[in-house]
Amino acid sequence: MHEMGIANSILDAVRKEMAPYPGARPVKVTVRIGTMAGVDPDSLTFCFQALVSGTEFEPMELAVETAPADELELGSLELEEPS
Amino acid sequence: MNVTMERKVLSENDRIAAELREQFRTHGIFALNLISSPGSGKTALLERTLAAFDSSKRVAVLTGDIQTDADAQRLARYGFPVRQITTAGACHLDARMVQRALEGWDLAQLDLLFIENVGNLVCPTSYDLGEALKVVVLSVTEGDEKPLKYPGIFFKSKLMVLNKIDLLPYVPFDIEKAIANARSIQPEIDIIRTSCTTDEGLKDWLAWLTLRAA
Repeated sequence: MHEMGIANSILDAVRKEMAPYPGARPVKVTVRIGTMAGVDPDSLTFCFQALVSGTEFEPMELAVETAPADELELGSLELEEPS
Repeated sequence: MNVTMERKVLSENDRIAAELREQFRTHGIFALNLISSPGSGKTALLERTLAAFDSSKRVAVLTGDIQTDADAQRLARYGFPVRQITTAGACHLDARMVQRALEGWDLAQLDLLFIENVGNLVCPTSYDLGEALKVVVLSVTEGDEKPLKYPGIFFKSKLMVLNKIDLLPYVPFDIEKAIANARSIQPEIDIIRTSCTTDEGLKDWLAWLTLRAA
C-alpha cells in the first residue's frame, strides 16, 4: 500500500505550489500515471481523499491521467482565487 | 487559474536518490536493488553470493524488512558489512532510508553494494534508491505469469533471476513461458537461472555481476 505515501507526496507538492498564491484554494490536482508505474489509480484516489478529508483543502479533486511506461508525474493544479 | 506543476510526484525521493547515485559514482560503487515477492530467495541468493566471495571483496549489504533483523543476522555470518533496515510497516525502501542506513560507513572501502528490498513486487518499483540497476528475483514456486501480473518491476529490471530451479520437476512452472512473458514486458532483460540449494547457475550470476560492474 505505497499509494498512501504517494498521495502524501502529491499533497506536499500542492502545498509548495500554493505558496505564491495566498488565500487561493486548490480545486483539483492532476497526476499522470504510467501503466508500468505500479500505482493503482483507484487506491491512490482513495488514499488522497482520506488525507484531504477534514483539512483546509477539502473538497479537492484528484484527476488521474493515463501516461506511457513508468511515468509518475504531476500535471497541473487548478486554483480558485480569493474573490 | 491553472498552475502547471511539471515535476515528478516522488521528486523528494528522487532528489535523495540522485545524491546517493552521485556518492556511489564518486566512490566507484556498483549498487544493485534486489526486488521480489516474499520468499523468492533474495536472502538465500545473497548468502550464496557472499559465501563465494574472497574475504578481500569490498562488498556490503543493506537488507530491508518490515520487522526483525533475521536477514541481517543470516548475512552477517559471511564477515562482510551488513545492516538491517526495518521499515516498521512500510512496504518498500525509499531513498532516505538507504541514506540513513549508510551513515557511518566508509564508502571509499566499498566496490559493491547489494540493497535487498522489502519482499513486494509492487511498491518498491516506484522508489529509486540511487542504484545502478534493479534485479528482480522470481522463483519457480510462484507462477510463470508473474511478469504479466506485475509488469512494472519486470519493465524496470535489467536482470531476472529465476530462482529455485532445482524444484522445477515438482512444480507446474513453465520456464520458457516465464521467460517469454518477461521479455514481452522488457525485451532487453537478462535472464539467469539459479538454485541456491545446488548452486546451479551461481557462476552465471557472479559473472554477470562482474560484467555489469565493469
